[in-house]
Amino acid sequence: MGRYVVRRLLQAVPLLLAISVAAFAIIKAQPGGPLAAYEGNPDFTEADRVRLEHAFGLDQPLPLQYLNWLGSFLRLDWGYSFASHQPVLMLIGERLPNTLYLMGTVFVVVLLVAIPVGVLTAVKQYSWFDHIVTGTIFTFLSTPTFWLGLLLIIVFGLQLRWLPLGGMQTLGASFDVGDRLRHLILPVATIALVQMGSHVRFLRASMLETIGQDYMRTARAKGLAERIVIMRHALKNAAIPLVTIIALDMPELFVGALVTEQIFGWPGMGRLFWDAATRSDYPVLQGILAVSSSLIVLANLFADVMYGWLDPRIRFS
Amino acid sequence: MSRVLTLFFAAVFVATACGQTPTTPSASASGAASATAAAITRGGTVIVAIWQEPSTLAAHYQNQTVSGVVTDGVIEGLASTTNDGNYVPVLAQTVPDVANGGVVVKGTKMDVTWKLKPGIKWSDGEPLDSSDIKYTWDIWMKDPKTNNRTGFDQIESIDTPDATTAIVHYKAIYAPYPLNFGALMPRHLLEKEADISKTDYNRKPLGTGPFKVTDFKAGDSITLEKNTNYREQGKPYLDKIIFKSVPSSQVALAQLQAGEVQAMWNLTEAQTPDVEKTQGLALQVTPAPTVERIEINTAQNREYPDPNSTHPILADSAVRRALLYATPKQQIIDKLLFGKAKPGSSPVSQGWAKYTGTQEGYDPAKASSTLEASSWVKGSDGIRTKNGVRLSLTYATTTGDQLRERVQQVLVDEWKAVGIEVKIQNQPSSVLLSGSCTGKDPRKLGTFDLIMYASTPSIDPHTTIAPRYSSKGIPTQADCSGQNYTRFKSPDADKAIDEAGSTLDLEKRKTAYNTVMKLLNDAYVIIWMYDRARIDARVNAVQGWQPNTWGNFTWNVSDWWLKK
Repeated sequence: MGRYVVRRLLQAVPLLLAISVAAFAIIKAQPGGPLAAYEGNPDFTEADRVRLEHAFGLDQPLPLQYLNWLGSFLRLDWGYSFASHQPVLMLIGERLPNTLYLMGTVFVVVLLVAIPVGVLTAVKQYSWFDHIVTGTIFTFLSTPTFWLGLLLIIVFGLQLRWLPLGGMQTLGASFDVGDRLRHLILPVATIALVQMGSHVRFLRASMLETIGQDYMRTARAKGLAERIVIMRHALKNAAIPLVTIIALDMPELFVGALVTEQIFGWPGMGRLFWDAATRSDYPVLQGILAVSSSLIVLANLFADVMYGWLDPRIRFS
Repeated sequence: MSRVLTLFFAAVFVATACGQTPTTPSASASGAASATAAAITRGGTVIVAIWQEPSTLAAHYQNQTVSGVVTDGVIEGLASTTNDGNYVPVLAQTVPDVANGGVVVKGTKMDVTWKLKPGIKWSDGEPLDSSDIKYTWDIWMKDPKTNNRTGFDQIESIDTPDATTAIVHYKAIYAPYPLNFGALMPRHLLEKEADISKTDYNRKPLGTGPFKVTDFKAGDSITLEKNTNYREQGKPYLDKIIFKSVPSSQVALAQLQAGEVQAMWNLTEAQTPDVEKTQGLALQVTPAPTVERIEINTAQNREYPDPNSTHPILADSAVRRALLYATPKQQIIDKLLFGKAKPGSSPVSQGWAKYTGTQEGYDPAKASSTLEASSWVKGSDGIRTKNGVRLSLTYATTTGDQLRERVQQVLVDEWKAVGIEVKIQNQPSSVLLSGSCTGKDPRKLGTFDLIMYASTPSIDPHTTIAPRYSSKGIPTQADCSGQNYTRFKSPDADKAIDEAGSTLDLEKRKTAYNTVMKLLNDAYVIIWMYDRARIDARVNAVQGWQPNTWGNFTWNVSDWWLKK
């Protein structure tokens, strides 16, 4: 197992490098560039452009720009944003807690709802409960998050005035738990309603497969209560693939939901990424991509290892 | 019963519709606060929704309008402008000019003497003195990340004989000198920093204004609090102003209507009916110097054309005139801009140098007859031809701009009706308006027929007129810096521009600029579409707003107050 983990980690390094090169190439291929923001100013002269390009290192050949970035990055100097001149690590550090707060809540809510609902729909297969849940899930799975988010804002924020229209808290007011929770409801609902569908369906399918197994019949034949048969025997075995899915969701905790954060004005990593992408602010973009791509690679590895640990039938070659 | 209900609701509807009048604050002649002192209540917080986030607030780095909106109340300069375009002193005692001896012209150079008001302090309590003026010029020129050095690159040296006097030696006649030092930077705080871009000055710039920045939460909000060291006793009236960052102007409007914010920056014309029918909200529509225009390429449509070449279709002035006569400017303003703009007639629509002439109006019959008279004959498909050349042109503007796309649709139809075929070829603004040859800006390269965009002249017209309408301003492969995109060449206009640039006499300059603009209009190389307005909105409780054509709506935050 240890050798397997080491081998996977070593394989990850060239993969991460390839991702960062591809990202750099895509950012540079965009028209505009970091100096596009200065163009609207009639006083901005050609001499100013040349000077700023030099100050930001943009006049160097592309491979050299990338290698300079890579060199500093490996020395833990993640560079400075072209737009705000702030250190990239600081920018990420400011936004990360907000994203963790939002996505963490989504994560917990999804699990708390998806697991009981998934089990129940499997146990009561084809009942009216199952049909209603399945219908609702497919409706929400087909809904784009930006549309759902806007709809929730219009209904609950504008028309009913029950919930605030965005942001993390009421500005100018002091810290209040209730206020924070009220601001959390709509963005969490937007993401969770769409996400939990896949978890419910997955668990349902896994449970149905497990309940159909021979050892379930043995357990019932032994006289065990149905509740124990389902919870102790079926769920534990059915949940193993679900653990994998959950592990693969973990990088989202850090990277955030791009579109939802934009709609709700949530100051998180997703919004930082969007702003940096529209401004071709590549130090920030590379920093965020480095974080997210490493997390995805690590999460995949973690999921594989967890699966192997939980299920003794799996052997790593 | 249902009949009664319907009548009841109809009555309520009529009553509310009648009861609403959009309350726009009236413009007052003087720039100073005109509210009676007895009515003003002090204290309170105003939250302003901004739908773009300032990336930096440092005086010499900022390049977004919204950064200026936030720092208007924080960073001050020596002088500023009022609504009617006159200069007023802010940190200086008076605005120096030739008449009061503050400006001395020596041949092709000039010296400007500034005297500071005594006793001014930075918001951290340290005194402001003339060394700050010298430092501002120094650092603006030395810092490699400064946004642009306009004006400062015309200064040879600065003498500071005493703490309140600075003598600026310019190496040329620089007419916009009063606004050169529009933002002073604190020497005592920044001179020891090796790289200002790595300091807190980016987010919390130190200034002398009525407010200071106390909190900058990226992506969320910027908080300004009252500056207790402000030079005007008793001001500002507000305790705090918070600029709330929202994702889009639609969200900002929604938050304004829901009462979550008390003011909003920069609405589009299409959003104004919403505000006008909501009770408790008021609009401020300020005529802005921005002019939307369609520029016509008179040289060949290819990369770096020979400036002496001629466009196969557009060199014929009949075609250019026809395009103008077939443009229904007022209709576009009424239908697409909700009446919140004026038909354009020149690049300089405001200020002391504004153009006093007009541009001809909508007359599609005249358009057709002009083309007929020039032998452009309508073919079987309705499009005119002459000597085998089909009257087909490309029309470009920025993508993703709903208003411009609608204007294009109107014009394509109007022009087709008189026999001109127009094909739309839009590009993103990062390319179309990149302002550089390497950025493939079609205006610079010369690869366009008709191009539509907006431009805002600064208060001194020379920086607008000289690079754009002088034949020396035609961008070429060797020198891409010019802005004469229409490739307009007129020796008389060149002469007038040179004259205007070599004197400080406002009357002479005004006449010269008017000559240039008349020659430009007589050549029919630009269709001036409309003069836009800047529109901002507030709840009725926010008082003290005054319009300023040359500034942001936050230009007088020290006068804002909240009605309880």
